Amino acid sequence: MTDPAHSSGKPLKIVGVAKTYQTRSGATVPALGPISADVAAGEFLTIVGPSGCGKTTLLHLLAGFMSPSDGKIIANGIPISGPSLDRSMVFQSYALFPWLSVVQNVEFGLRSKRLPRLRRRQIALDYLRLVGLQDFAERSIDELSGGMKQRVAIARAFAVEPSILLMDEPFGALDALTRRTLQHELLRIWQERQRMVVFITHSVTEALFLADRIILMSARPGRIKAEWRVSIPRPRDVTSSELVVIERQIYALLDEELAQTFVQDTTPTPAEGRQR
Amino acid sequence: MSKAAASQLGRARAVLPFIIAAVVIVVVWQIVVTLTQPDPSVLPPPIAVLKSFGRLLGNGQLIVDAAYSLARVFSAWLLSAAIAIPLGLLMGSSESLDRLINPFVELFRPISPLAWIPMAILWFGIGEIGKVFVVAIGVFFPVLLNTIEGVKNVDPTLLNAGRVFGCNTRVALFRRVVVPASLPAVVVGLRIGFGTGWAAIIAAELVAAQNGLGFLIANGMDILRADDVVVGMIVIGLLGFLFDVFFRYLQRRLGHAR
Repeated sequence: MTDPAHSSGKPLKIVGVAKTYQTRSGATVPALGPISADVAAGEFLTIVGPSGCGKTTLLHLLAGFMSPSDGKIIANGIPISGPSLDRSMVFQSYALFPWLSVVQNVEFGLRSKRLPRLRRRQIALDYLRLVGLQDFAERSIDELSGGMKQRVAIARAFAVEPSILLMDEPFGALDALTRRTLQHELLRIWQERQRMVVFITHSVTEALFLADRIILMSARPGRIKAEWRVSIPRPRDVTSSELVVIERQIYALLDEELAQTFVQDTTPTPAEGRQR
Repeated sequence: MSKAAASQLGRARAVLPFIIAAVVIVVVWQIVVTLTQPDPSVLPPPIAVLKSFGRLLGNGQLIVDAAYSLARVFSAWLLSAAIAIPLGLLMGSSESLDRLINPFVELFRPISPLAWIPMAILWFGIGEIGKVFVVAIGVFFPVLLNTIEGVKNVDPTLLNAGRVFGCNTRVALFRRVVVPASLPAVVVGLRIGFGTGWAAIIAAELVAAQNGLGFLIANGMDILRADDVVVGMIVIGLLGFLFDVFFRYLQRRLGHAR
């Protein structure tokens, strides 16, 4: 499903969501929002923004790792109250379980679904085939390259057949070529499986290459600064004139925000990594 | 080069420095003996120790003493780990439990297991229980502290991954993520604990035993058989070394991605 207009309803509704943090001295620091957005079934949404704008916070709220300080998030009609197999995730640092083999990693979520052993294994192998790692099923995680690890993580995330996939800069730690390959593969799998993807990235080019819709977030506290719908058919050429136009617009607005971030950096705020 | 040949070469490369060190020790020892001509009851020459080794091995005494020492250490080590690992897992995952129990740990920890020997004899006599008790104390703290650290150092992203992929309860997350993720640290604790336990049993046997490697060397001293003492020392060193190698191997096997 490359055209989200076909999908009915709004499986993900973000309604006035804000998150604030308490500093050690007791001060309240706004980190995110308020933000409101709807994401359609099967839509590929990317979120870009300056670092520290709360992109990861937003994704963690969507995952249900924490609750918003204000507002609510409704997934498929149900307010999010915690993590769920219906919203799986791909992490930048892979977050594979190193004591499990490749196939056992993919099976992890399926075990939680209490599927019988053989069925589990069969599904896991199917998804490993989808990411081209069927011959690595019994390998240990340590033996894999970064790109292969992220393929396993993608297989693990798709294998539970969630309606929503959350991706936190999944290709941020990979080299440019691996990154390119995985972007292509992700699109292929996404088109095949028709899942909603919420994809966070630092890379404007990546966003242009992947997204149905791009949301640009402002500097802390992150709000939606601008939005673009990208309806160019895939595979896309990011150097095409249509995409370059959008790219320029994004960078122009992003530069304003980066200047803002620079000013903020002179006043200490909690590091994004510690926002959990 | 084939994979097997390469790994064989790697192993040889790892073992060679130890063989060289052992040769150097024996050569220096022989030189000192040749130059200073000490009384053999003070410093026996290597050849006398080798003969004594053959004799103690031949009459079975060495095997029996080593078996006693190892049996004591293993039973104490198992007993101690059976308490320290679950306790460490709980203390590592519960802030309040950690705060509650940690002061007890920190107050007892600086007391060397050897300092417990007199109390162990008063309480349990010179039987097996007293020695196992002393060794268990030596094993306990390294295992406990490493387990706690292991749990506390579990990558928070792995915990998030566990939650995303269906660990809905704390118990499920603990069982499926926290415990396996901290296992390598537990093995480190078991290795260090075995080392301190091995040191403690020799000391305990020096003081209160009728057998064991500690007794062997204490008895050697009493009857002015320095060659027996040195044999005992070498076997203590060798066994300790071998178990350390074994645990390091285990650690590598389990030491995933650290």
